[in-house]
Amino acid sequence: MTDPVRATPDDSTLVRIRGLTTVLNGKTIFDALDLDIPRGKVTAIMGPSGTGKTTLLKHITGQMRADAGEIRVNGQNVANLSRDELYKLREGIGYLFQNSALLTDFDVFENVAFPLRQHTKLPEVLIRNLVLLKLQAVGLRGAARLMPNELSGGMARRVALARAIVFDPMLILYDEPFVGLDPVALNQVLKLIRTLNQTLGITSVLVAHELEAIKQVADHVFLIANGKVVAQGDPKTIANDGSPWTRQFFGGEADGPVPFQYPAGNLAQALGFTGAAK
Amino acid sequence: MNVRAPHSNNVVVQSLTQIGLCGLFLLTLLASVPRSFRYACETLRQLWFVGAMSLAIIMVCGLFIGMVLMLQLYNVLSIFGSTSASGMVVALAVYRELGPVVTALLFAGRAGTSITAEIGLMRATDQIDAMEMMAVDPIAYVATPRFLAGLIAMPLLCCVFCAMAIFGGHLVGVTWLGIDNGTFWSNMTAVVVVHTDIVNGVLFKSLVFGAVVSLIAVFQGFTTPPTSEGVAYATTRTVVASSIAILALDFVLTAFLM
Amino acid sequence: MSQPRSSYAVGTGLFIVLGFAALAYLATQTSSVANVHQGASYTVDAHFANIGQLKERAPVKIAGVRVGQVQSITLQPGQEVADVKLAIDKSYDKIPLDSVATIFTSGLLGDQYIGIQYGSSKKAVADGGTLALTKPAQQLEEMIGKFFGAGGTADNLGGTYAVKANFTNVGTLSVGAPVKMAGVPIGSVQSVVADPVKLDAEVTLAIDKRYNAIPDDSSAAVFTSGLIGSQYVAIQPGGSPDALKNGDEMVLTQSAMQLEDLIGKFLVNGSPSDKKDAGDGKSSDTPAPTGKH
Repeated sequence: MTDPVRATPDDSTLVRIRGLTTVLNGKTIFDALDLDIPRGKVTAIMGPSGTGKTTLLKHITGQMRADAGEIRVNGQNVANLSRDELYKLREGIGYLFQNSALLTDFDVFENVAFPLRQHTKLPEVLIRNLVLLKLQAVGLRGAARLMPNELSGGMARRVALARAIVFDPMLILYDEPFVGLDPVALNQVLKLIRTLNQTLGITSVLVAHELEAIKQVADHVFLIANGKVVAQGDPKTIANDGSPWTRQFFGGEADGPVPFQYPAGNLAQALGFTGAAK
Repeated sequence: MNVRAPHSNNVVVQSLTQIGLCGLFLLTLLASVPRSFRYACETLRQLWFVGAMSLAIIMVCGLFIGMVLMLQLYNVLSIFGSTSASGMVVALAVYRELGPVVTALLFAGRAGTSITAEIGLMRATDQIDAMEMMAVDPIAYVATPRFLAGLIAMPLLCCVFCAMAIFGGHLVGVTWLGIDNGTFWSNMTAVVVVHTDIVNGVLFKSLVFGAVVSLIAVFQGFTTPPTSEGVAYATTRTVVASSIAILALDFVLTAFLM
Repeated sequence: MSQPRSSYAVGTGLFIVLGFAALAYLATQTSSVANVHQGASYTVDAHFANIGQLKERAPVKIAGVRVGQVQSITLQPGQEVADVKLAIDKSYDKIPLDSVATIFTSGLLGDQYIGIQYGSSKKAVADGGTLALTKPAQQLEEMIGKFFGAGGTADNLGGTYAVKANFTNVGTLSVGAPVKMAGVPIGSVQSVVADPVKLDAEVTLAIDKRYNAIPDDSSAAVFTSGLIGSQYVAIQPGGSPDALKNGDEMVLTQSAMQLEDLIGKFLVNGSPSDKKDAGDGKSSDTPAPTGKH
């Protein structure tokens, strides 16, 4: 109760991560990671594949527990929440899955209406209007009666986005929102992310690799490697800060701090040239 | 949900681990039953999928089991000139053993596999995680309704199976082979006792089998690796594990109920 | 979405109703709960000394044709006869009052039913009336005797003459059992009574008059056909020139071998135990199956 963070929930930081340490299957994913996500901004998290960016998002939503450190979302320590409190928190968080994760049993309309039906007892007319408004926002009101398997990848992602914002959340987490989209669909999603942030003031966290897209939309970029934040700043300055990490990542070099070779023994030894190894 | 068996190459250790995890999963399921009451509509929908959709295969199989049983018994009993007892034997065999066991095996093949495959695919496509994120408990929303639906559907399916088997037996015995209609029924009603044969045999056994098959199906769906290969293996395991469990439990239950 | 939901609900509801209907059918129509089918029928009483394995709902037949079924079987307290109520189809309402109701068995191990043989009375039995003439169920031992006794009794067409023989033990020999010579039936057992003076069994054999040249020193033995078959009297001819006549007594007899003794010989290969089964022929009465309710 005397917690200083909780006492000031409406400061400029929505998600505050301190000393986050995670070990999965003997491999250290995060090593005392510190990270602040500013309220009302679009934050991009980048990093080489396998650095645990999706794991980070799951830590924020409480789906995975960290081994050490604390995560505070809107002042609440996620690790200390009971199941019901956690579910309460998640109602304020939208999550866009990499492969949309629409419920295959239901059509588009019912998918978007699903959270409303589960958590509210709104009259059917109101649910219908809300859902149609959200679908209109993503431009798919006409597709309300299609089943998920009838949608293209871009459409499915927009439906998932409509579902994620149906409760007007304070925070949306996008897990690789651009992967596998053609340029048109990519720009549509990009526009949506920006619009949602600007018109509704929703804090957005993006996990993505598409540099150009991030430059257009993100206010702040974190570059994570080896379990730590290796660079941060606004997308234009971070690209030019000259550290080896950013040079490799934004300059597209094949070798650098992220090794081309997966850690292995001496090649000559592996090939059987025992003499050469000596 | 992220239950994962510790790796071991020993088949015995692996099986015991699976059984232990399955037991824990059952506790989770039972604990979530009160929470899943608000998803009664979903339970009803699953009852349609696992129960009503299995009705056709159950009815056809029941009919043929009854018919073939009567044919066999008639041939054997005619040696002793007591073919009129065949209706009675059909009823006893179906009520006490064949009804619950065959229904459960068919149920495992028809409904169990579809439950496992469905949940496995929901995991593979992140639907389960999406529910977690939408603050919907996937155990209470996905697992428990399917479990409850299996629990309710099995005794009902078994009753339908038995009725069809009696009908099939009557068809062959009375209509075709010419056993006296009154003898057919009088022999049957003389030996079939509601408590031991219908309550303990048909209802109790099928309730237990329904619980076991649905538990295994849901458990396999939730614990399989969420890949297409994992789902395929899990579906096979559901059938194998269910069949073994049904037959082993049948022996134990029979020994207890006799 | 309310559309598909309501169709699920209807289908599921149908499924549940069908399941419970099947359960109700199993419980009421195929179990002991099942009530007697009440068609257009009338009830007739018949009293039997022994109903054997007759069950409720067993058929009632006339000339082999089913005309009704057994409605109830009760035992009146204080009486030794079973009161059997027959529900007979209304269309067969001309059954003579002096008809005979007999309990028959279909096949060796088959089920028992009641056959009605018409009498000659002009008066028909009415609803609630009683068939006074009945024949009780035939016991399984007699049936087995007929099947395993290799041919049954002689036809006695030419009349019989009676010969007495005394046995220390007749086993389960009963009246009507065949008398055989060289395996061929030549007569039947007329009576088996205990002799009050000699304290053994005096058996009267009725032998066909055609076989009137049986030597008077022939011996009579009580044999069993097979291990579980019924017993019969076998006559082994002697060498005397004089033949047996009506009222003669056979001196040389061999008593029945008890089943226990036989089994003892088979299993123990030793001396027969003197465990006797009350000495009379009732030990092998088949017990009626219990647990009907």
